Amino acid sequence: MATITGVLARPTGYAGIWGWITTVDHKRIGVLYGVTAFIMLLIAGSEAGIMRAQLAQPDSTLVGPETFNRLFTMHATAMVFMVIMPLSASFFNFVVPLAIGARDVAFPRLNAFSYWVFLFGTLLMHASFLVGQVPNAGWFSYANLTGTSYSPNAGLDFWALGLLILGISSVAAALNFLVTIVNMRCPGMTMMRMPVFIWMTLITSILLVLAFPVITVGLVELVMDRNFGTHFFDTAGGGDPILWQHLFWVFGHPEVYILILPPMGVVSEILPTFSRKPLFGYPVVVFSGIVIGFMSWAVWSHHMFTTGMGPTALTVFTITTMLIAVPTGVKIFNWIATVWGGSVDLKTPMLFALGFISLFIIGGLSGVSHAVAPSDFQQQDTYYIVAHIHYVLFGGSIFGILAGIYYWFPKLTGRMLGEGMGKWNFWLTFVGMNLTFFPMHFVGLNGMPRRIYTYGEEFGWGWLNMLSSLGYVVLFIGMLLFVINLIQSLRNGRAAGHDPWDAPTLEWSISSPPPVYNFAEIPHVEGRDPYWTTKQRAEAEGHPITAGEAHVDVATIHMPSPSYWPVVIAAGITLIAAGLLTHYALSFVGGIIAFLGTIGWSNEPAAAPQSHH
Amino acid sequence: MFEVRDSLKPQVGPLTRFSSRIRGGGHQYRRFAKFAILAAVLLLLLACSTGRQSTWDPVGPVAERQLLLFNVLLWVMVAVFIIVEGVLVYAAIRYRRRPGQGLPNQTHGNMTLEITWTIIPTILIMALGIWSVITIYEFDEPPASADVLHVNVTGHQWWFEFEYEDAGGGKRIVTANELRVPVDRAVRLTLESDDVLHSFWIPKLAGKIDVVPTRTNHLWFQADSDKIDSLPATFYGQCAEFCGIAHALMKFRVRVLDQEDYDAWVRNYGPPPANTEQAKQGQRVFGNCAMCHSIDGENDSQAQASRKQAFLSGGALVPAPNLTDLRTRESLAAGLLDLNKENLKRWIRNPEDVKPGNYMKSRAAHLYGTGELSLSDSDLDAVVAYLLNLQ
Repeated sequence: MATITGVLARPTGYAGIWGWITTVDHKRIGVLYGVTAFIMLLIAGSEAGIMRAQLAQPDSTLVGPETFNRLFTMHATAMVFMVIMPLSASFFNFVVPLAIGARDVAFPRLNAFSYWVFLFGTLLMHASFLVGQVPNAGWFSYANLTGTSYSPNAGLDFWALGLLILGISSVAAALNFLVTIVNMRCPGMTMMRMPVFIWMTLITSILLVLAFPVITVGLVELVMDRNFGTHFFDTAGGGDPILWQHLFWVFGHPEVYILILPPMGVVSEILPTFSRKPLFGYPVVVFSGIVIGFMSWAVWSHHMFTTGMGPTALTVFTITTMLIAVPTGVKIFNWIATVWGGSVDLKTPMLFALGFISLFIIGGLSGVSHAVAPSDFQQQDTYYIVAHIHYVLFGGSIFGILAGIYYWFPKLTGRMLGEGMGKWNFWLTFVGMNLTFFPMHFVGLNGMPRRIYTYGEEFGWGWLNMLSSLGYVVLFIGMLLFVINLIQSLRNGRAAGHDPWDAPTLEWSISSPPPVYNFAEIPHVEGRDPYWTTKQRAEAEGHPITAGEAHVDVATIHMPSPSYWPVVIAAGITLIAAGLLTHYALSFVGGIIAFLGTIGWSNEPAAAPQSHH
Repeated sequence: MFEVRDSLKPQVGPLTRFSSRIRGGGHQYRRFAKFAILAAVLLLLLACSTGRQSTWDPVGPVAERQLLLFNVLLWVMVAVFIIVEGVLVYAAIRYRRRPGQGLPNQTHGNMTLEITWTIIPTILIMALGIWSVITIYEFDEPPASADVLHVNVTGHQWWFEFEYEDAGGGKRIVTANELRVPVDRAVRLTLESDDVLHSFWIPKLAGKIDVVPTRTNHLWFQADSDKIDSLPATFYGQCAEFCGIAHALMKFRVRVLDQEDYDAWVRNYGPPPANTEQAKQGQRVFGNCAMCHSIDGENDSQAQASRKQAFLSGGALVPAPNLTDLRTRESLAAGLLDLNKENLKRWIRNPEDVKPGNYMKSRAAHLYGTGELSLSDSDLDAVVAYLLNLQ
């Protein structure tokens, strides 16, 4: 075994491209997640642009049905699994250890592994474009259209194998954050003193660990149906297509909360900071998050109201789905109460946070109207649902994520994002978003189904679709400003200082950007909003606070050394999947690489011998 | 890039200017607000169309109750929206930070408020929930007293087949893409799929139900004469569950007839008579088509099943629409084209051009093997004359 570790000795440096490839530093991994997912956001967003161009007018012939089906499949699959989830993971990575007063996550190499698996899974699924066999059955890929009789080309194999790989990444990351949050909190940080963002990360991680095995079962069955002649979903062989829907949505509904709880956490951090007032009803906000987490397992069949479940099942899922609006509403009321009576500073992060609330209200309310089964019979699979999901996932998740980027960018880079540009970014995105998605409610109620690549003029959907497409242009410009703002601020943004927002949480007590070891001295917490307490005490005592006061020699802080093994094992796993698409020999090679990688990983010393970190 | 930045540099955001105008409270603002609200309401009204597939324009009890339920939910939502968004916007503007302002009152929560805003939504939701559940059970099946017309629906890629085991007087009818029903009579559909998932939806008559292979689903509706201007009337529907490449083009129609017209249609249902020389020629040519298309209403279940087997094993057959009563329909190609001689010829010449992805051209190798239709012009005219019973 020594030979294997000898081949890839533990790297020592932090510099250059190899520094990034072998990094186990949670902040760098957060950046990798963030940059990759943001590139995917631009790609998946552009796919939406082509669809909006096609649908802008009736009987348009810009793209044909096959291209359109590929576009909506890849748009949604990417947005869910390769944009919103990894953007949340980016926040988990960057913020969690800092906000709980830790030096890194519990398993730094596993953390790097999660990222590389995510990247390779993303690349594998998108390699389908290179061979022209792109997934085309929707992000839900309902059986039995996914069988080889109806989808003979390899597109769906790319889809299923890509998602299986992304699932490995998600579960590994979720376990890591679960353990980190439970075990690595600094002294005094009891569970009920944790920032709400940490709570939402914890709940999300639990949902991930429990939900992904369900979709994994479904995906494995799909791969076996398509490649090894089983009949799980193949109706000609006695399989059951509804089984897939249950597996998909038992995963899929908790997944919706996996997408929205982290941004809810982000907003719960931003509102108090910019209102200079603690979060209203902290225990209630936390508890309602837990209740949502539990209830998210009892509502999945509302995605299946029209499958013919019978009145008993319709009743049960109508009631449970309507009830989940209560804890969601309670969260919104507490957020508003946080702003109420505060000292509200409408800086860009706060604008995005308020935008999140106002748009999420719309998404939540329209959700109630299709929680009711008989009402949903008219709305299911129409543009009304498309409007709903975009109010929740764009107005909700993406706005929450943008709020978070504006909020934590100064901590990450030491520079502020441009405030003027930020306000333009917000207003254009806000207006564009509403212009794009609000008319979709009406076009859906006027009878336009989803996932159609063309429609006749005689249906009267033309002008509303044109409005949506124009809205996309505004939205696009809004997001373009964000990219420009990012680039400009990275180059010559105003220096941020360690605490630009007068924030309450621990990450703001250290310098921006934080040193590799985060805290020179592990903080000691005595209550919620610890940094506010520290600052108020210091002010009362008359000596101002500066960042990163080190009472210890930082040379004595030992941080885990970088490692080659995470990326090696991730590559091995991806090759196993790629082999199923090409030649089984490749799977064999991948298996050997992953196996040797695992041995190398297990035998690796905790730190390189000559390392000082 | 710098120029862009300078030109986009108002430190006073739009919301700030908006709010200062509110505090100014001038008449100008109020007039603008009135105008804006009026314009918004007009636009919203305009957005709710009564077009072909609008859910706002029900013509039967099922769709009507679904709309009523939605409308009540909608107005409750609008009320909640105005209150909650109003309070949010008010709070964000009213409590804006003033220069030199100290720390605001550090409230941490309020149990009374928490209980209030948990209980009120719960009560509201339970009230709506109870009514919803009553509706679910009330509209699950047609009223027990109703004289129900039963129709079996089979979903195919990408068209619907309708089978009346007893259309009237014991007559069995098989047809496609146009469902004919008498007015004021409850119709109960029994739906199955021949291949993948579809969803059967005619918005003005009833919400949708999925058409699922291996399962049997039901849907009922009724078209009320007092909500229809004139008969016969056509209502439009389309498949609502993604079902492959031609999903967007899988349309169908429900033709509502008065009892007399319906009875006449049932009576006259049968293969075209072929009583001219050209039609007789067409009948012979149709032998090419008959491998997939049946032209009698009696014996095609067996035929469809064997076509399906052939399709699944990659053969040149596919279950295709029954053409017995094609001449009495108003549309062609799953509701895509008006039915007339020219359109039918266009369709037969190149079905791929009308409905991309459909199986006609790709499966019927004996007709389209060269990429072009192998029938002569005379044969094409003849088969069209035969099918449409042209004299």
